[in-house]
Amino acid sequence: MADLLEQIAICIERGKVNKNSPYPPDLKGQDGADELVKQALDQGIAPDDVLGKGLTVGMGRVGQKFSENKVFVPDLLMAAKAMSAGMAHLKPAFESGQAHHKGTFVIGTVQGDLHDIGKNLVAMVVEGGGWKVVDLGVDVSAEKFLAAVKKNPGAAVGLSALLTTTMVNMEKTVRLLKEQAPGTRVIVGGAPLTAEFAKKVGADGYSPDPQGAIKFLAA
Amino acid sequence: MTGKERISRILKRRPVDRIGLFEHFWGDTQKKWAGEGHIRSDEPLEDHFGFDIQLLWPFNLIARLDFEPETIEETEQTVLQRDGNGAVLRRHKLHDATPEHVDFLVKDRAGWLEHIKPHLTADPRRINFEAYRAARQAAEKAGRFFAWSGVNVFECMHPVCGHQHMLMGMLEDPDWIRDMADTYSQLTVDLMETLFSREGPPDGVWFYEDLGFKARPFVSLDMYREFILPAHRRTLDYCKSLGLPAIMHSCGYVEPLVPGMIEAGIDCLQVIEVKAGMDLLRLHSAYRDRLSLMGGIDVRTLYTNDRAVVERELAEKIPVVKNGFGYVLHSDHSIPDQVEYETYRYFVQRGLELGTYAY
Repeated sequence: MADLLEQIAICIERGKVNKNSPYPPDLKGQDGADELVKQALDQGIAPDDVLGKGLTVGMGRVGQKFSENKVFVPDLLMAAKAMSAGMAHLKPAFESGQAHHKGTFVIGTVQGDLHDIGKNLVAMVVEGGGWKVVDLGVDVSAEKFLAAVKKNPGAAVGLSALLTTTMVNMEKTVRLLKEQAPGTRVIVGGAPLTAEFAKKVGADGYSPDPQGAIKFLAA
Repeated sequence: MTGKERISRILKRRPVDRIGLFEHFWGDTQKKWAGEGHIRSDEPLEDHFGFDIQLLWPFNLIARLDFEPETIEETEQTVLQRDGNGAVLRRHKLHDATPEHVDFLVKDRAGWLEHIKPHLTADPRRINFEAYRAARQAAEKAGRFFAWSGVNVFECMHPVCGHQHMLMGMLEDPDWIRDMADTYSQLTVDLMETLFSREGPPDGVWFYEDLGFKARPFVSLDMYREFILPAHRRTLDYCKSLGLPAIMHSCGYVEPLVPGMIEAGIDCLQVIEVKAGMDLLRLHSAYRDRLSLMGGIDVRTLYTNDRAVVERELAEKIPVVKNGFGYVLHSDHSIPDQVEYETYRYFVQRGLELGTYAY
């Protein structure tokens, strides 16, 4: 069992989606996350173990390497693609309650801002970390974030902004969430942001990269 | 010394009277300043602030030139359209911003070969000859350095297939990405040949190429060398064959790519985005003998509208980066409308005071 879970972790870390995928070249022709997750479930390995000891381990490794600039966005995207292939087999288990997320993370780009690349990367890595991700997309109003939190009680929230002109909208969103949904933990990120700015607008956390969001959620 | 003389020398890191001056602004900024009576809404910013550089973007590299953008959805604030690259993009109507990438017709090599590549011919209709001619003449009259401006291959490819498909394609189907980079670099050279032979060359070229984001480039230096550098080199080799210096803009953190960009042949790196992690002083220390720099002044200090804060930022950097004669004053991105007119005026005045050489 441990070997199979480790193979799954390696497929995520290396971005090996399925047997037919040409990448990475040294794993050509070998089973990928798609086949191995199916095999694991067929062998009776608990879905939570497939998730927690296989898939999220691999995603954690690639996320850590990304934080250390040892791999780059293409590698992270391939890992997320492999993760998605594996997670597709776990969907019934989530629906039946046999598999469990660590919690819910609501994410979106704040109002006035249409950038989504950074937000998407964070969403992929957090999902790969075992969290249910509710992606509200871009140009999201404070009220829409609040509605998502009310619909997902206990959810943590991630706010993204790329522009100096739109990061100011984070303050309104954080304020509304703190007033109307006390106890909601909020992390902010994006090109123009700093830890100092996060503190100023009342956010609970700031991260310059996706792995920082994972650490925030785990704390 | 005219702007043309100054910038031409700064790009070669030769002695000048002062550092250069140029800037980019968000579209809303001039509207606000015009509303306050500081500047006419139609007044060229180059004239108003005495910039040393004038740019003109004369090429249209959209695949299907005759395609009328198709509006899919429109709200009070945004419009969702399919463009001539088959990309579905949502744009803000009320202010300038990069559009949201909603969908792309091209997701792989087959889509590229079917929908885009056959259309990428060096059709003269891609070139705005009149605008180029007028800008070139205006720059000449004002003594400014006139630069052809446009995108290079990274900024050609992702509008066609999106960042995610492009970046994954580098790993899953490298030949597809090489083909796109090769096609766009050749198209750029072909169009430049047509334009410059008909209208005369500019004083230099300016490529926009956003290769980075917060704290890291999109790709490693190795991937830059594999996929992007050959295309950069092709376009820059052509420009160098005409004796044209090259400025390359990149948003985001691109410091790890700078050695590759120098190998490709750039003369100046702009915009050195502090909030993404770029460090003007570190770059100057490392590359002052090989590379001129433009930008790197944290725009966040300007929108404090506190002169003391602006002064500190300028005083920390300008006296250092003026050494070696390779610096042009510019914010680290663009001036937003939160910056008051008087603050920007002070930034220019004080920056140039600190950047004037005493002989």
